[in-house]
Amino acid sequence: MSASLDTMLKAPGAMVECDDDPEAVYEFLCSKGWSDGLPVIPPTPERVERMLAYCDRDFDKPVVKIPPRFGAATPIRVAANAVMAGCKPEYFPLVLLALEAMAEEQYNLYGTQATTHPCTPMLIFNGPIAKEVGLNSGHNVMGNYFRANAAIGRAVRLCLVNIGAAIPGTGDMATAGTPCKFTFCVAENEEASPWEPLHVELGFPKEATVCTVVAAEGPHNVNDHESITPEGILAMVAGTIPTTGSNNAYYEGQPVMAFGPEHAQTVASGGMTKKQVKQWLFDHATIPLSKWSQEGIARRFRRKLADQFANAPLDTPVHMWQKPDDLIIIVTGGAGKHSQWVPTFGNTRAAWRALKRADGELVKSIHELKRG
Amino acid sequence: MGKIFLVVPDAPVEEVAHLKSNRSLGGGGIRLGILDNSKANADYLLNMIVDGVKQEFKVDSVVVKRKPTSSRPATDQVLDELAKEADLVISAMAD
Repeated sequence: MSASLDTMLKAPGAMVECDDDPEAVYEFLCSKGWSDGLPVIPPTPERVERMLAYCDRDFDKPVVKIPPRFGAATPIRVAANAVMAGCKPEYFPLVLLALEAMAEEQYNLYGTQATTHPCTPMLIFNGPIAKEVGLNSGHNVMGNYFRANAAIGRAVRLCLVNIGAAIPGTGDMATAGTPCKFTFCVAENEEASPWEPLHVELGFPKEATVCTVVAAEGPHNVNDHESITPEGILAMVAGTIPTTGSNNAYYEGQPVMAFGPEHAQTVASGGMTKKQVKQWLFDHATIPLSKWSQEGIARRFRRKLADQFANAPLDTPVHMWQKPDDLIIIVTGGAGKHSQWVPTFGNTRAAWRALKRADGELVKSIHELKRG
Repeated sequence: MGKIFLVVPDAPVEEVAHLKSNRSLGGGGIRLGILDNSKANADYLLNMIVDGVKQEFKVDSVVVKRKPTSSRPATDQVLDELAKEADLVISAMAD
């Protein structure tokens, strides 16, 4: 072990002793609340050191502070959580990248951590390193099985719990939460997309690796095996989106429309751009005001949104997000006639960050970050 | 059974200095401040609390400020105005 890391780990409170047995470690970590409820890899000093092999930061300097505790997310602590989650060392820079993105003010990490709403960071990766480390963008992209997707998202959640104290009932007040809190990490299927990938749309070069974070609910499926025209697919999507219980009807959140590649090809077959798709869906995914409860109309629309709805007729269409371009469109998943609608928390905006070396240059291969 | 060391994955609570106000209410009534968090029912609850306070204490004035949204902090301007116009402030979460 390097002398500097050894010194850091000898600081008071940096390490704790435990019986050397997998079940004992699991029981111990659960008893301390350092858990997502599932078994973990014991974060021994040797494993943490190996995890830090791809970290070009000072190991004891906070990368971000995570509310509501505002715990300091030093590389050492993040690495301990990444070990527990099952990360390979090559994943570690992407865990740090995701934490940095969600610390951007517009994401509202404090609010998303503490809210009663069932949101969790949806991590969307674009760029060459997503593929290099094995992030899945194909079949079952939002499901199980793929280590990188499972472990990177899980590591982020463990950091939010262990470093940020998003502990149910105290720091995380979610009424019900979502199973996506275990992990929600996808890569865009850039090769199967008819449009420019998300990070290019956001202004990054194609060779950049970018993490975009969205404070997301769980995804809802759009099944359409029949439509063969752009308007047909979009009509089905626009029919699936509108729900009166969605925060996106009132707030500034940026929901995600994750088209499956086959749906995306059909939608783009007539030449529709992403921007045109966003406008089309904004115009068609609406609900008449009358569908809300009388109390909801009186308290929410007539009073809190009075500038728009104070005297609006009951057949006024309510849009499902605030401005057409607020919708985030990605293409992800494998073959099949399904797409995913992902609503969000209310007071949040998407945030993103590109993976860069300490000298500010874009990282083209994860191995550029390997120490020594 | 042997022992192993684990790197602690959590972070300590940051030390924060808490200041105690030395403002005196003197002999007059209270200048009451209300910070409405903008949740749907916050104003109903806070109005009930104001009525309760008025029954127990002499209240000279009530100033109500509202956060633009519940899950973001109050602006510096709102906090400065409350500090200037109120002797004490009641803030409550109400869904």
